[in-house]
Amino acid sequence: MYWGGNPAECHPRHFTKYALMPKSKFLPRGRKDRTMVLVDIRETKSVNASDIFLQVRPGKDFELITILRALLKEQHVGDAQIAETGLTRDVLVDLLERMKVAKFGAIFFGMGLSMTRGKHMNSAALLTLAAELNAFTKFVAMPMRGHGNVTGADVIMRWQTGYPFGISFNRGYSRYNPGEFSTVDVLVRGDTDCAFIIGADPGATMPQPAIDHLRRIPTIVLDPHVTHTSRLAKVHITTAPAGIAAPGTAYRMDEIPLPLRPAIDSPYPSDEQVIRRIRALIDQKPDWMSKSPQRVLSQV
Amino acid sequence: MLRIRGGKVFDPANGINGEIRDICIDGDRIVADVNGGKDIDATGMIVFPGGVDVHTHVAGGAINFARAMTPEDHRRTQAFMRSQSRRSGLGGMAPTTFATGYLYAGMGFTTVNEAAVPVLSARHTHEELNDVPIVDKSCLVLMANNEIMMNLMEAGDFERAKHVVAWYLNAAKAYGIKAVNPGGVAAWKWGKDAKELSSPIAGFNSLTPGDIIQQLSRIVDELKLPHPLHLHCNNLGAPGNISTTLETMKHLEGNRVHMAHLQYHAYGGDGWDTMCSESAQLAEYFNAHPHMTCDAGAVLFGDTVTITADGPWQHLLYKLTGRKWGNLDVENETGCGIVPYTYKPSNLVNAVQWAVGLELLLLINDPWRVFLTTDHPNGACFWRYPEIIQLLMSAEFRNECMAKLPAKIKSRITLPEINREYTLYEIATIISAGPARALGHRQKGNLGVGKDADVVIYNEDHDIARMFGHPRYVIKAGEIVIDDGDIRETPQGREFMVQPAFDPATEEFLQPLFEDCYTMSFENYPVELERIENPEVQECGKVSSDLEQS
Repeated sequence: MYWGGNPAECHPRHFTKYALMPKSKFLPRGRKDRTMVLVDIRETKSVNASDIFLQVRPGKDFELITILRALLKEQHVGDAQIAETGLTRDVLVDLLERMKVAKFGAIFFGMGLSMTRGKHMNSAALLTLAAELNAFTKFVAMPMRGHGNVTGADVIMRWQTGYPFGISFNRGYSRYNPGEFSTVDVLVRGDTDCAFIIGADPGATMPQPAIDHLRRIPTIVLDPHVTHTSRLAKVHITTAPAGIAAPGTAYRMDEIPLPLRPAIDSPYPSDEQVIRRIRALIDQKPDWMSKSPQRVLSQV
Repeated sequence: MLRIRGGKVFDPANGINGEIRDICIDGDRIVADVNGGKDIDATGMIVFPGGVDVHTHVAGGAINFARAMTPEDHRRTQAFMRSQSRRSGLGGMAPTTFATGYLYAGMGFTTVNEAAVPVLSARHTHEELNDVPIVDKSCLVLMANNEIMMNLMEAGDFERAKHVVAWYLNAAKAYGIKAVNPGGVAAWKWGKDAKELSSPIAGFNSLTPGDIIQQLSRIVDELKLPHPLHLHCNNLGAPGNISTTLETMKHLEGNRVHMAHLQYHAYGGDGWDTMCSESAQLAEYFNAHPHMTCDAGAVLFGDTVTITADGPWQHLLYKLTGRKWGNLDVENETGCGIVPYTYKPSNLVNAVQWAVGLELLLLINDPWRVFLTTDHPNGACFWRYPEIIQLLMSAEFRNECMAKLPAKIKSRITLPEINREYTLYEIATIISAGPARALGHRQKGNLGVGKDADVVIYNEDHDIARMFGHPRYVIKAGEIVIDDGDIRETPQGREFMVQPAFDPATEEFLQPLFEDCYTMSFENYPVELERIENPEVQECGKVSSDLEQS
């Protein structure tokens, strides 16, 4: 089941390599042994791949998930409430029956769910639905992430700092508060006096006040291409593209790491090489921190 | 060069029990004598070999998922600020990697064994282990729910199964084999469990959990791996599971085995209302069967987050508690569940669990065969080990703690009848010398000449928890890393692995199967040795003779 995503165009290998087509011991006929449900607000190319398409009214995902949870627990749901989602009771009852008798259900949810009205509450509701379905059969849910190695960044930040994103190191250790410490919030508030940007193009996507601030401060960009952000930066360093001309590791959306093997050589250094060289230069400067900051005595 | 002068030395591997003597270090090894160099005056202090954790979960997909699930705990926990000598980190229920190294070293532990790694995410685990400073590390790879292995075992193709295990160990850069709820995690992919040792597993015709443990333990022994099969039994945590545990032990007679977190497998009764301790019965059997070692998996009251490959158990725990639940299924290999949990003294089940962990440590009479663990973070966080040491060394303190438990507990446990108090020599055995020997680490848990210079020096203190929680000095590979609570140095530890030989045809056999049922290409599967910092390959076939002698 794909919810709020268009894998046919955005994650083209997902059907063939991962979730829909592969043949296996227990699904020897591959696609024929699976049922694919697509939930989205409009007909995308992914509809052609689906067995069942549910067109939910825009902004009504949370309501739809909540109704499914209620029906699953055999609670009363009024016709008017169902009609609000743009779907009918018959369709939802049929869907739930199919989910309950499935051998193994998987829900993949995209930014059409997690970044539209309701945002993280939509994701939480969907994860809860998946958890509750386990009273009947095995069910899991997994987010469909954006482009690039977003999962890898999440995974590493978690093991090094405890948090996936939205982290502040201002106190010398990590603190977490999305909405306060997320990049966009820090930039809009003007709470940073330098920006170091790797493999992202906030100059193309962020709100104007954030872009204005990037232009005001020393902004340094590492990217294989000259991006919108490069044009407003003080420094742009061209790097070799990871996975094409630079080695490394990328984490798949299910957090399985894959080694990257470069196919071609590049005259440019990798991101890693550039950062190591900057780091080595910084190490030569006198450290402004005390040797043992946790033992600093009273300053007064 | 370093001389630790005049300390009271406890070195069970060499039978040294509290003698006043000097320990000399040159480079990263212990030597007979040194001329000059640094001098530590350890007069009136206690000297131990560095601690060894035989079973912990500190790196990899599961603990990292737990980190993501518990930001509320990170906020309230101990923070390590960055300094010139160390990176920042957070402690708590699921510490970050850097903090994990600091916290282990901070209580005198210098070697840790990450107990559950799927081959598919071994690359991730090693990346995390590279970021755990100071301590030496190793990891065990999960084999008892691997579909390829299960097919081989069902077909009775033992020889090939053995070569496949050897190949997997090489691919994962692992140190040994772990079996978690054999067959049960595979069955969980069907929403089922495997509770009976002799019933076929969901998805298979004839294969039973009993077959899996017998064949895996034989494979581990025939490959002569330094550490025996590391087994998490079926039916974890369930009232009445003592029968499963005893049956498992009977299946394994004749082979070496390490029974993990035995506390979770020693319950009587037939429901949560009647759950009681069966540790006396379990300890009696265990004491009579010297081919086994075990670790306690002790429970302490308080908040923690439970993580285990035992997916069905975690689903049950989620239903019992109604708290957050994370589930991971790892393709054909294993799975894992994560649920935050609070052990409460007022909860009769939790109180029984608390008692059972201590009872096993006290009733198993050979400290060389039972080791201190909490199955971190499942029973409690590893940095709470000093509290357990205090409970073991003081019957009076145990009685004080027991007085706070519900009165109904008395008929369900045997702890009130146990007066045994651990000596320092026995503590040194269960936290260092014993687990080092069980892991087959000949260089560890031993202050003899030529061994690794991992040494802990404690201030002698009547407050046992404080003494073990705050060593005066910790020396790792000859370097003073902790000095009176200060993290002085954060060297990169080594990572141990085994690389048993296998038939070259194994790869030809595996590749088509792999391409059939995995979502990754075969050549991306093995972890390259270059990805691991300071790797150290241990030979197979050397250590088993040591074990027989003991």
